[in-house]
Amino acid sequence: MSGRLDEVAVGRLAPGLALALPRVPHRGRVGEVRAASTGSSMELQDFRAYQPGDDLRQLDWNAVARTDELILRVRQDEVSPRVEVVVDGSRSMALSERKGARAREVALLVCEVAARQGLSPTLRIAGVRGEQVQGPSCRAALRALEFEARDDLAAALGRLAPPRPCGLRVVVSDFLFEADLSALCARLSRGAAGLFLAQVLDAEDLSPSGGEGARLVDSESGAALEELLTDDVLAAYARRFAEHQRSLRGAALRARGALLTASAESSLEALVAGPLRPLFVTGGGA
Amino acid sequence: MSFGFPWGLLALGALVPLVAAYFLRRRQKPVVVSALFLWRTPRPRAEAGPRWERFTREASLLLEVLAVVAAALFLADVRVGEPARRHHLVLVVDGSLSMSARDAEGVTVLERARREAAKRVEDARATQVTLLATGLSPRVLAGPEAEPSAALAALESFEARGADHDAMPSLLWAQELAGGGGSIAFLTDAAPREGLVLPPSLRWTALGTARDNVALVSARRRDEGRATTVTLWVARFGQGPDSVDLRVRALPGTGAKQGTERVEHVALPDEGTATVRLTFQEAGDVEVSLPDDALPEDGRVTLPAGATRPLEVRLARGLAAPERDALERFLQASPEVARGAATDGVEREVLSFGPRGTDARVTVGATGKPRTFVGPFFSEKGHPLLDDVQLAGVRWTAGENPPGRPLVTAGEAVLVSEEEDGRVHLNVDLSRSNVQRVSAWPVLLANVVREARRSHEGFARRQLLLGEPLEVVTEAGARYTLVEPGGRRPVFGAGAVSLPPPSGPGRYALEREGDVVDTAVVLPLDARESDLRGRGSVDVPAREAGVEASGGNASERAWWPLVLLLCAVLADLYVTRRVG
Repeated sequence: MSGRLDEVAVGRLAPGLALALPRVPHRGRVGEVRAASTGSSMELQDFRAYQPGDDLRQLDWNAVARTDELILRVRQDEVSPRVEVVVDGSRSMALSERKGARAREVALLVCEVAARQGLSPTLRIAGVRGEQVQGPSCRAALRALEFEARDDLAAALGRLAPPRPCGLRVVVSDFLFEADLSALCARLSRGAAGLFLAQVLDAEDLSPSGGEGARLVDSESGAALEELLTDDVLAAYARRFAEHQRSLRGAALRARGALLTASAESSLEALVAGPLRPLFVTGGGA
Repeated sequence: MSFGFPWGLLALGALVPLVAAYFLRRRQKPVVVSALFLWRTPRPRAEAGPRWERFTREASLLLEVLAVVAAALFLADVRVGEPARRHHLVLVVDGSLSMSARDAEGVTVLERARREAAKRVEDARATQVTLLATGLSPRVLAGPEAEPSAALAALESFEARGADHDAMPSLLWAQELAGGGGSIAFLTDAAPREGLVLPPSLRWTALGTARDNVALVSARRRDEGRATTVTLWVARFGQGPDSVDLRVRALPGTGAKQGTERVEHVALPDEGTATVRLTFQEAGDVEVSLPDDALPEDGRVTLPAGATRPLEVRLARGLAAPERDALERFLQASPEVARGAATDGVEREVLSFGPRGTDARVTVGATGKPRTFVGPFFSEKGHPLLDDVQLAGVRWTAGENPPGRPLVTAGEAVLVSEEEDGRVHLNVDLSRSNVQRVSAWPVLLANVVREARRSHEGFARRQLLLGEPLEVVTEAGARYTLVEPGGRRPVFGAGAVSLPPPSGPGRYALEREGDVVDTAVVLPLDARESDLRGRGSVDVPAREAGVEASGGNASERAWWPLVLLLCAVLADLYVTRRVG
């Protein structure tokens, strides 16, 4: 397994995948997916009384004839939903080359699949500077991505432009920071029809090695902690990690999202077939 | 701030390994982790401001440093805002030879004094100790106000070998050194004599025991040509043996192939001394020893060769027969003089006699019209040449007055005169006088010889007993040093200088500009010190206790550093606790 961004693997996987869009109305440009807004599609959504300024073409003349009242047909719009990929640009994402590479591959795969689906992918990087690119530029942005932010995703989101309504939002991060996870997930799901939290973790995050004393340094804040990595200390870490994951999963569910935990040790193919499977449906855009 | 025990500050040395351990721990292998909060218990305020954990190690170090400093302050008996508790103890140790006497178990009095001194220092919790040794010249062995350990160390290396002396000057000096608050402990081997008024803060402790003793009370060596005569005086003090074997060993001298050893069986009288006189040929150093007893030191002496300083006397030509005969008769009976030129290579001082008109040191004779006097004679009172010279009944015939300052006159006639350069003129015509037939003549000549000997550089006597002053003659313009067994000291003054009695036996050398010009030996013999019958054990308490020793004002050790130490340790435990 390489520690570099494997665009070949992404290119190999993307043609056979489609994003699993939620079955709720979307917002976006005119497209093929039912929108949450009213529009001019053939899909009837509702009826209501005419109000000045309404399009007279939408009057249901049969109803007018039956009731002598101006009844307006309210039709559902058809849009091409936007897909937002938010990438955590904090230093913890580069704990190892493999972790950083896998995070970029997941983000690139989502962008590629969305583009192939005719959706408009938007890549938002929560790094040192809030960065946002669309379409083909996503690949170049992910190539140049450096994980250098000294704060966590919750703080970095403040540097991004306010989220816009979208069909699907995929957040790629390790979600290993102290924050109000419920509030974070609610914020991430705001304006999105669907939310996926793609959590990419290094092997040391999942199961740290011990056996000797160490000066543990936080990758983002630089805070240090002297610890003798005994079995007890490692067990306590595992206990706190499991608790953190439970909290994160619960917060994601409350925000109508899903937490997908991917190990950087696994290949992208294995991840798509395994932990990331809920994000894709096979044979979508091929 | 002051310290009652400054040595306690040495505990601050623990800061070095503490800080070193801190930096060593800081250099532990750094391991970057994604989420440090998962390694420790989450804190509600974790998101707000700097985390306390970042400073845990530093805070622990500061607390541990504080604990070490508090411990050092406690050990050093720190005093803030008040003078440190101090107790000055002046230890006075008898420096006389009898302190080296052994008891039945073979322990010397001085050794018992050392133990007692250590006990006194500990009991009194003395913070400063001044150690004095009594003697003909009191000495400071440690201090003033030295560290107790330094004073006890000085006492450990001290040897009591001095002569009999009065301890009161030393005790009065100790009282001055002790001031108003200190206490004095005098360690000796005999009780104070009846009616002796002691300083009020003095505690007199006698640690001796009455013992019988056989000792050499005097020893003398005289070399005449190749023969060496050794005279020894042996005395018994108490109910000792009636007789004793005296061992005398003469080491081979220059030209001799082997030495001689004799054992003399000496009968000891109840009172008085037994005299032993032995003669050796071509002897070097002579070693004398008695069987070991309560005081072995006074039974062993070594009489080195060259103990006498022969004065070479020359009689110049031109002396009249009566004067020559009179001088010859005196010189034959006079000890430690040598006639004529030296043949044995030994440097001697020269005293020359000659007739009037010559440059001899002493001129004898009269020129011009003779005049005879039977008195009255007028002598310069106190002049050393005229000590014990009695001219009553003398018929003195003199001639013309000699030059120089008159010392003895009769009417207008100057009978004896002395010039500025020390030349002496005896204006006497012995063919017409009877002065050579009375005691005044040998006494006068003996004074002349003595003064001639005194005018030459070196020790006046090369063999002395304990307590006898050291008399040396120095030349003006030169720098002299007296080399003693315990060190060196400069000799000030020119001419005849009387130095205080030596503090102990041994070899003494007089150096001029670094070169040895003469040596003398002080024998460890003092009859009063050898008499151990009056020794005993007694403890006379002080009439007044010292201010600090009374305990009323002696404040206790401050405990706040200990409290600070405990707080720092507890805080450190709290800071470094491991929460699971």
